[in-house]
Amino acid sequence: MNVVVCHDLTKQYGRSKALQNMNCTIAENKITGLIGRNGAGKTTLLKIIAGYLHHSSGDIQVFSENPFNNLKVSANTVFIDNEMSFSQGLTLKELLETAGSFYPNWNHDLALKLFDYFSFNPKQYHGNLSKGMKSTFNMIVGLAARCPLTIMDEPTSGMDSATRKDFYRALLKEYIAYPRTIILSSHLLDEVEDLLEEVLLIKSGEKCLHLPIDQLKEYAIGVRGKTVGVASWTEKMELISMQEIGANMSYAVIRNDRSIKELEDARQLELEITPVSAEDICSYLTSKTKGGIDHVFSRG
Amino acid sequence: MYLAEVKAWDIVRKQYRYKLKSYFSVFTSLIVIQLLAILFSFNGTGMGGGTSNSISYEFYYYTSDIILVFMMIWAFITAIIITTRAYRYDDFSFVTNRTISQVSNILFLLSASIFAGITVYLSTHLFQILAFYFKDNYSIIVDSLSFTEFLMGMITSILYIFLFASAGYLFGILVQLHKGFLLIIPTILFGGLILDGIGGNPTLFVNVTNFFGEETSFILFICKVAIVSSILLLASLGISNRMEVRK
Repeated sequence: MNVVVCHDLTKQYGRSKALQNMNCTIAENKITGLIGRNGAGKTTLLKIIAGYLHHSSGDIQVFSENPFNNLKVSANTVFIDNEMSFSQGLTLKELLETAGSFYPNWNHDLALKLFDYFSFNPKQYHGNLSKGMKSTFNMIVGLAARCPLTIMDEPTSGMDSATRKDFYRALLKEYIAYPRTIILSSHLLDEVEDLLEEVLLIKSGEKCLHLPIDQLKEYAIGVRGKTVGVASWTEKMELISMQEIGANMSYAVIRNDRSIKELEDARQLELEITPVSAEDICSYLTSKTKGGIDHVFSRG
Repeated sequence: MYLAEVKAWDIVRKQYRYKLKSYFSVFTSLIVIQLLAILFSFNGTGMGGGTSNSISYEFYYYTSDIILVFMMIWAFITAIIITTRAYRYDDFSFVTNRTISQVSNILFLLSASIFAGITVYLSTHLFQILAFYFKDNYSIIVDSLSFTEFLMGMITSILYIFLFASAGYLFGILVQLHKGFLLIIPTILFGGLILDGIGGNPTLFVNVTNFFGEETSFILFICKVAIVSSILLLASLGISNRMEVRK
């Protein structure tokens, strides 16, 4: 069963389009990473899925219903981000209790254990927490809610590295014990790639790739060597990226679909073939120009 | 994981209870404002006097009018405050949809109005007692009310306060819809009053106050307030159902 189905989904803010003809499906009980550059439309997509925003055109179905203003979707979805706002009139402990009364699958025991583990003061107010502590608290709400659809938008922003690791571990353990659909958005694919099953890569409001993480890791290869050699070898191939990395040396990234003969040719041209990490693939695929940042500083 | 089915009224109840707890500061401001109102009422809300050859006299009324007016303003402002972004977002951190959010807000305003109406009555007594102790009064005449009169008075206070809360709520929602209403509505309101009064014979404001104030039938008065409040609140509901949360 697909939990989220988008069809030609478009969201416009004034004249600029945050999402353009987005088509994607997110399957049940998988951890999907939503990866993209700043301003790619990650948050907009997640907010539409959570029913906070109204899409401009196209169609979106969450649990086979339109999520906007939908109580069923709201009850079965928890949306965690760092702008989450909680009442200033209630202490952290009371907030957890309130959350417990709202979410049908809430596990209060887990919430309290995590609350203790991250040494929160029960009498504190959400507004007085530091940025990292706020993220941690929101994460506790997100995990303990045990919603069939758990959406986390940059959940680790502001957390220190120890807390991040704890968070990923907690997320994984919770997921294994109570499988649910989790959508995790992040710019840092490196950090989350061990956790993810699928990656949905978006670029300027459009879907760029949607692959299982294993396939993404083998999606491309890097070629390093003399500029002339690299250029002649990759002449007929579609480049994902091409960079100069020193005097007469170049580094190109291409799809990992070359024949053995071609790879043999490369060896004879003294080109070095290297794997490309998932994070790098994503940043090459989503970069605006093929030359990268160096292009800006190159003279002439 | 199975999908949970929730009942709308169940969530309304939960949101309402959550709001009673989390908007507690609203009641703190109520108490502060009432104390202020008592202070203002202390010199009497109306006075008169006269002299003849051998005697001169002054009389003061001590009524709850000022307290009631303060409470009406308080209700108006409170209603605006709970439509603001921060308060709206709070609801959406938990389970809700727009209608439920609104309905629970309205229930909250209704309870706050009832609470305010009762305290108006109570604080009237407080300041009458204070006046008795602190003023060198020579004679005090107290109107004693029958139970029905007292009940009618209290319900009237509550209805007036709720009417203002409803108006404030619609105003707040309109401003949330577009910031321009922050300018447009006061302009229309005050502009209308000024234009109306330019001829020296104002009718608009007088008619509006007479519509409620001159009503002699208690039942009809209740109906009038209920209908006007419902119109205001339904308009807010209609508007807010289209609003996006958290852009």
